Amino acid sequence: MTRHFFSEGVQERFAQSRFDAIRKLGRIAEEEECKFMVVCGDVFESNLVDRKTVLLALEALKDVPVPVYLLPGNHDPLNAASVYGSTVFLERKPVHVHVIEDTTPIRVDEDIEIVGVPWTSKRPLQDLVALATEQLENVVDTMRVCVAHGTVDSLSPNPDDPALISLKAAENAISQNKVHYVAFGYRHSLTEVVDSGYIWYAGTPEPTDFNEMKPGFALVATINEVGVTTKEVNIGKWNFIEREQVDLNTKEDIEALRNWFENLEGKEQTVVKLRFIGALSLSLYSELEELLSHFQEIIGAVETRMNNLVVIPEDADFMDLGFSGFASRTVERLRSNIENSGSDNITSRDALALLVRLAGREL
Amino acid sequence: MKLLRLRLANYRGIDKSEVRFGSNGLTIVEGANEAGKTSLGEAIRLLFDYLDSSKNQSIGAIRPVHLDAGPEIELEAESGPYVFTYFKRFYKKPETTLKITSPKPENHTGREAHERANEILHETIDIDLWKALCIQQGEAIQQANLSNKTSLSAALDVAAGGHRADPREETLFDEVREEYRRYFTEHGSEKKELQEAKKAQDKLEIEVVSLEKQIQDLETDIVRAADLGLKLERLKKQELNLQADISKYTKSLDEIKNLENVLETARLKLESAQKSEQAAERDKEVRQELIDAVTKAHEAHSKRYESIKISTTSVKKEKTDMDTAQSDSSSAEAQRKETESLLNLYRADYDYFNNKLHLEQLKERKAHIESAWEEAARAEELLAKNNVDEETLKAIQKAERSLIENKAKLEIGAPNVLLRGLTDLDFQIDGEQNTIAKDEERNLSVSDRVCVTIPGYLQMELIAGSSLSNLLKKVKDAKQKLDTACEDVGVSNVDEAMESFDVRREAQQSIERQKKIEIENLRDLTYEELEKIVTGLEISVPAYPADRVPEPNLPPNLEFAKKELGCTEDGLETANKVWEEARRKLDAARKLHDGLNEKYQKMKVELDLKDDELKHVESKLTRSRRITPDDELESELSKYTENVCTEKEKVKSAEENLRDKEPDKVRTLAETANGSLQTVEKTRLAAQKENMEVRTRLKIFGEEGLHEKHHTARSHLEHIRQENAALFRRALAANLLYETIKEERDKVRLGYVGPLKEKIEKLGRIVFNNSFEVEVTENLEVASRTMDGYNVPFESLSGGTKEQISLISRLACAMTVSKDSGAPLILDDALGYSDPERLKLMGAVLAKAGRECQIIMLTCVPDRYSNVGEATVIRL
Repeated sequence: MTRHFFSEGVQERFAQSRFDAIRKLGRIAEEEECKFMVVCGDVFESNLVDRKTVLLALEALKDVPVPVYLLPGNHDPLNAASVYGSTVFLERKPVHVHVIEDTTPIRVDEDIEIVGVPWTSKRPLQDLVALATEQLENVVDTMRVCVAHGTVDSLSPNPDDPALISLKAAENAISQNKVHYVAFGYRHSLTEVVDSGYIWYAGTPEPTDFNEMKPGFALVATINEVGVTTKEVNIGKWNFIEREQVDLNTKEDIEALRNWFENLEGKEQTVVKLRFIGALSLSLYSELEELLSHFQEIIGAVETRMNNLVVIPEDADFMDLGFSGFASRTVERLRSNIENSGSDNITSRDALALLVRLAGREL
Repeated sequence: MKLLRLRLANYRGIDKSEVRFGSNGLTIVEGANEAGKTSLGEAIRLLFDYLDSSKNQSIGAIRPVHLDAGPEIELEAESGPYVFTYFKRFYKKPETTLKITSPKPENHTGREAHERANEILHETIDIDLWKALCIQQGEAIQQANLSNKTSLSAALDVAAGGHRADPREETLFDEVREEYRRYFTEHGSEKKELQEAKKAQDKLEIEVVSLEKQIQDLETDIVRAADLGLKLERLKKQELNLQADISKYTKSLDEIKNLENVLETARLKLESAQKSEQAAERDKEVRQELIDAVTKAHEAHSKRYESIKISTTSVKKEKTDMDTAQSDSSSAEAQRKETESLLNLYRADYDYFNNKLHLEQLKERKAHIESAWEEAARAEELLAKNNVDEETLKAIQKAERSLIENKAKLEIGAPNVLLRGLTDLDFQIDGEQNTIAKDEERNLSVSDRVCVTIPGYLQMELIAGSSLSNLLKKVKDAKQKLDTACEDVGVSNVDEAMESFDVRREAQQSIERQKKIEIENLRDLTYEELEKIVTGLEISVPAYPADRVPEPNLPPNLEFAKKELGCTEDGLETANKVWEEARRKLDAARKLHDGLNEKYQKMKVELDLKDDELKHVESKLTRSRRITPDDELESELSKYTENVCTEKEKVKSAEENLRDKEPDKVRTLAETANGSLQTVEKTRLAAQKENMEVRTRLKIFGEEGLHEKHHTARSHLEHIRQENAALFRRALAANLLYETIKEERDKVRLGYVGPLKEKIEKLGRIVFNNSFEVEVTENLEVASRTMDGYNVPFESLSGGTKEQISLISRLACAMTVSKDSGAPLILDDALGYSDPERLKLMGAVLAKAGRECQIIMLTCVPDRYSNVGEATVIRL
């Protein structure tokens, strides 16, 4: 998974963390004595992933000590270009790794079955889960886990999506003993869909974006005749932080921002997005730039939005320069440009900042 | 600063030297080469630049050559408010002292003295400008580098009415320009870094688009593969349905085929029955026809038989008539033949007599011819002997005339001897016997020589004179010619020749005459034919009477014979007419008979034919009845008619059965289903092929890792965009700042370039003329000179003019800064390129400048500065 805000080295670390997460999942499965592990779709970000990515993922899966069931999701549907049909996947797939190719119940253990609902295209035109569970017979003496992918209608802002999964239908299947637990994939946030505890989104094991509510968890589910218990295990290493309004007006604000950066934990695995608002003098703006430049080298990634940050040259910016000749006249012209808010406002501001910097450095 | 005194000791080749400069104006330091002129300027610079302990090469270079002592420099000068004496000894016993007398006394030694001196210098003069204005040996043509010279700028600023320029601003400007040059070239083009950045971004954008296109193609293929999968499934189902339909139709078609076979069989049977019925009907018809034919043949036979009976009577009667006519015709013909024989006899008789007469005539003609021939032969013989033809005769006559003419000429010219016979006397003239009678006179012309001999008595030789001999010779020749001509044709003289000619002409006429006789008698025959006819007639004519029949008698002559012949010819004509009539009648009778007979024969043949026909049909009918009686034929026909009805019913039934199965519809449906199946199969094969292609593409390109490539490229592009945005933002800022600060600086510069320009032109007009103008750049360099309307770039000017303008420019600068930061202008060996006239004018310029600033001129050519007006002259 690539992110544009990562530099090359950070990108590699981030990608490696995702492979590491697989191994970590394996260790947790072992620790928790899990009988198997399911990945509910979007194992791969795309069917067109690089051979190396597939190899590394399989290599990591090789270290998982329990059977692993991979469900094709909307990113890696089981279509003609499916990564699960690629040469490298077929050749290197460990024997304990299985791809769920249809909705036929899979016997995992004596008393456990998996009913997978794989995606065969990126845009299904119906509720695949409802369709699969309708055809199921109820079972006795067998725990059946439904492994599915998609958005449950109760959580979707788009009711017109034909592929929405009917929560009611899923609950019906549970109440009819057709399935006993539904493991969903799609949402990157760990989500308990209903209070009963039978239907969960495990979320992504490693955070991938700013808008994820509770990413970076492995969900261990214990299913028996009594019911279902779940355990959330945090395994994510990366942290995505987005600050919508960082108010910058004074030197104190700049210093507060500096302190905030300084206090961040795990800076090298943190991704920050900051939206600045306010108005800064030219000299403070220069300080902000220096500050950001400094932390961009330390933190995983720093994204900034300065659309709402106004830079206003103040007399104080030029007080110490003490020019009286053509340099002084230059300053006046550039300030005039900025005040008139012409099309070269930003350029004039930058030019003025440059002049201040050069004057400050040399004078 | 003003230099007051400079003392050097142990300096290079100088032991001791002291120069006192004029406090104002011009100082000319004269000296031969190696006198130490250049050392003066050098020493002032070294004094301020180096510590006395300096090991710099420049210091090493001023050590005295043959003396182990330290070079000493001592300078007394004024600079700003300061008046000081500054001393340094380098290398050996180094020492530095600075004694300031004004504005307040100060004494410094060592490094402190050095630093204080420099401090004063920096405080009071623009060292850079000072160094720039001074002319070192050999660089006079170059303009001084006056850019960024603070004092000059300040002075010019002040001169321009502005503030004194802040030297830090120039430094800032340099910084700004340096920043600008990081991104742009001197000419304002983007530098490689910017271009490469743009290229890299463009390249990545293309790569991203390309990858997106590839992914999009793959997505299309994925959708297509799914569609094809569904399509193939649908086609397979269609194929199965069509195959089932075809199977059903095939079964129906088999049943239809069976029913068609049944119908075909029924139709064949019906056809067979119909044919049998038709055969029975035909048999019956044939039988009836036979019966009818027999009846008809009977009738025809009877009719012919009656007709032939009548015809036989007619033929017999006509036969009798024809025989009678035949008899009459035969009699008439016999009569005619008899008459004809008699006519032939009489005609032979008549011919006989005619031949006889003819024979005689022919014989007579033959005799005439032969007689003529003999006559002609004789004439020919004569002609053969006689050669005197008309031509020969004419030749002889011509020779004779020639002889006569020559003789006449001889006689006229020759002596004439008259012989007169006294008696009859025989004598000889030239041996020729002559006779002369008594009283006969004979002239004898002696043309040459004549010998008259009286035999026995006298021989008299008469000889003509010499003129006659030629005439005589011609006579002889003519005679000889005549004789020869006569001899040739066998005559002795002309008369004989004429006679012979007449004989010959007679003979020739005789031959012609005989030929005419021959032609007349031969007429249209040749002699041989004539002879043959005569011979034939001589045989036939005598034989005729013997061979002729005795009766009737041979007529006595031709007349009778002719008469008998005429009578017989009349008789024959009559006999012919009778015979012709008889024969006509016979022909008519025969024609009638033949016609009837022919008709009879025809009828007879017809009757025979009818008879045969009758017999034939009767026989046929009998045979046929013997095989199948008439009633049996009738019953057969009834049976077959009944059979046909039965078969028709069967066919009808089979047709109805077949119609119930709708064969056309079933067949059409089967064909359609087969066609559809083929279409579906083709479509399926095409879909399979496309599916294979799509899946192959997916297999190949799907595993290329396009997703990562795309994300990586996009990520990279995003980085580059950000970096480039920042880069270009910085570049734009640098550009804007540079352009702005440059514009502002230029405005100021242009302001102070004016005073400098004005000063240069003022000085220049002394040397050149009143039209002299210069263009001064912002770096305070003279870019071009304009004079008399012609603008010439500085670099294109002559060496002398360049040198003069450079010096004028330096003087103008020195004059500009002289009040505040002025320093002495040291010109080492300047104006070496100027001509005397210009030197004079430049002297005036130097004099004018010297009034405002201190100028020290070092020269080894004192005359060069003889026109500088008032000056302090120092000789080294």
